[in-house]
Amino acid sequence: MLVLGIETSTPQASVAIGSEQGVVGSCLISRGTTSGEFVLPAIQFLMNQTEISYRNLSAVAVGVGPGLFTGMRVGLATGKTLAQALSVPIVGIASLDLLAYEARYSSKSICPVLDAKRKEVFFGFYRQVPGGVTRTSEFMIGSPSRLVAELTGRAEDTLLLGSGALLYRKELEASEGIEFGSIANSFPRATSLVELAIPRLMREEYSRVFDIEPLYMRRSDAQLNWERTKRG
Amino acid sequence: MGARLMEAEVTEVVEAYTEALAEQRRTASDPGGLLTLGIETSCDETSVAVLRGGHEVLANVITSSADLHNQYGGVVPEIASREQVQAINPALAEALTRADLTFWDISVVAVTVGPGLVGSLVVGVAAAKALASVLEVPLVSVNHLEGHLYSNLIENPEAGIPAMGLIVSGGHSLLVKIFDHGIYEIVGQTLDDAAGEAFDKVARYLGLGFPGGPAIEKASRDGDPAAVAFPRALLGDSYDFSFSGLKTAVMNYVRKQGDSANIADVAASFQEAVVDVLVRKTVRAAVDNAIPTVMLSGGVAANTRLRDELSRACHEAELTLYYPSMQFCTDNAAMVACCGYHRYRRGIRTALDVRPDPNLPLA
Ligand SMILES: [Zn+2]
Repeated sequence: MLVLGIETSTPQASVAIGSEQGVVGSCLISRGTTSGEFVLPAIQFLMNQTEISYRNLSAVAVGVGPGLFTGMRVGLATGKTLAQALSVPIVGIASLDLLAYEARYSSKSICPVLDAKRKEVFFGFYRQVPGGVTRTSEFMIGSPSRLVAELTGRAEDTLLLGSGALLYRKELEASEGIEFGSIANSFPRATSLVELAIPRLMREEYSRVFDIEPLYMRRSDAQLNWERTKRG
Repeated sequence: MGARLMEAEVTEVVEAYTEALAEQRRTASDPGGLLTLGIETSCDETSVAVLRGGHEVLANVITSSADLHNQYGGVVPEIASREQVQAINPALAEALTRADLTFWDISVVAVTVGPGLVGSLVVGVAAAKALASVLEVPLVSVNHLEGHLYSNLIENPEAGIPAMGLIVSGGHSLLVKIFDHGIYEIVGQTLDDAAGEAFDKVARYLGLGFPGGPAIEKASRDGDPAAVAFPRALLGDSYDFSFSGLKTAVMNYVRKQGDSANIADVAASFQEAVVDVLVRKTVRAAVDNAIPTVMLSGGVAANTRLRDELSRACHEAELTLYYPSMQFCTDNAAMVACCGYHRYRRGIRTALDVRPDPNLPLA
């Protein structure tokens, strides 16, 4: 089973191809623009180098965020259209799930944190299980102090990782029993996406192409302002 | 120091180039059945079209998120972008179903890369790149405004060029000199609000809803276009437009009249003022430049009063007027596919790393 993974929901975009035997190849770029010029040329490069053609793909996996809105839309439009043209299944996996998976060898509570802009972060809590991690909370969005409050309330030894954790390191250091992950593990990756997608595909847990949506976790400014004026 | 060409040499070079282009056009192979898939996602419309031979429209699917923008009185970019990403794949499926084709029959993919809302543009561009890549067919980028100009060529492939193009929509009011396919000069543009934008703002002010164009036109049916003599900003010899003063005049008039203002009369008189300026400038630009053909396009081209008045004025000035049928006026992918097809035949191909440009200029 060959799966193409596309993860473009953060400033570090990546694509990967892998099978049950592991990752066949991947391309990653940290300084691209969010309009995703990197994605298609990278997929083609990967396919040329690995001598895999689109017809060999059994499925497409996409990162659905939360993250950068434009990046998520580029990744979804690309992945959904490829899956649609090829008539293959598609799997969507959250960026925070992917990031937490990077820390699957830690026995502490795992908290991936991504920059949500406007002085907010996306985060969630996970713990180690055989073969990966399992989420123990909802996906959340809030200020760094909301995260601090959450950490204080949980009072567990916690590994914080991700671009958001590093960005707000000073504020977050106020909590007790926390450790920060390395900068190398601060973004979700297409390689993890492929690894996590394969078991789901085996269990036939995939979606209809039309049903996959980005995980925004925030309404548009217009909607927010509208509600504010209606209330006020 | 680079040698400067003498004027005669410049003429020679230009002639040689023009000849080469013409030759290329004559010899470019057109298997007749060339199937172009067009994608248009520059604003709140999601559209996918399939054209055979660049002109036979097999499908032109248009979905719009206009209803969702209603309460805000204008297109909200973030909402439009969110709808684009949900609408593009069903639109692709629907277009192929209507054309009775599969993805694998497509020979060229054409896509709007700008101008427009960047969040909306990226969706269509990403889908187009994915298709071109997976189907192993050429990708051809299209300028949205050039697409509007080509909306006239879908049904009239033999329409005369050179022509004077008037593009009027929610985002644009442009007078464009069309020398040849792909060779344009902007001779006039709006200094403030686009014509469609003026319609939107006045419609909102009069409480007629969004989008403003159809709302004003509907309200105007029961009104007298001569009831109120709103100002026409003719700006002397310039071909530029200005609709902001007119909008203010309408608001002042309504404010002064209070409850006694006849909304139908106001709408009709406002529409008349916009149409009058558009018609006068367009005809003058064509006559001054000795261009015998006028091509009307863009969302506001769907306005019946504008079509009628421009027809009358062009007839009087002995100009040939083209305007597209209604389905090709508002943003649609058929015009993008038609333009893309002509660009493809001129040898234009677009790399898969093309970036959408929200401010892409026409010329
Ligand atoms: Zn338009």
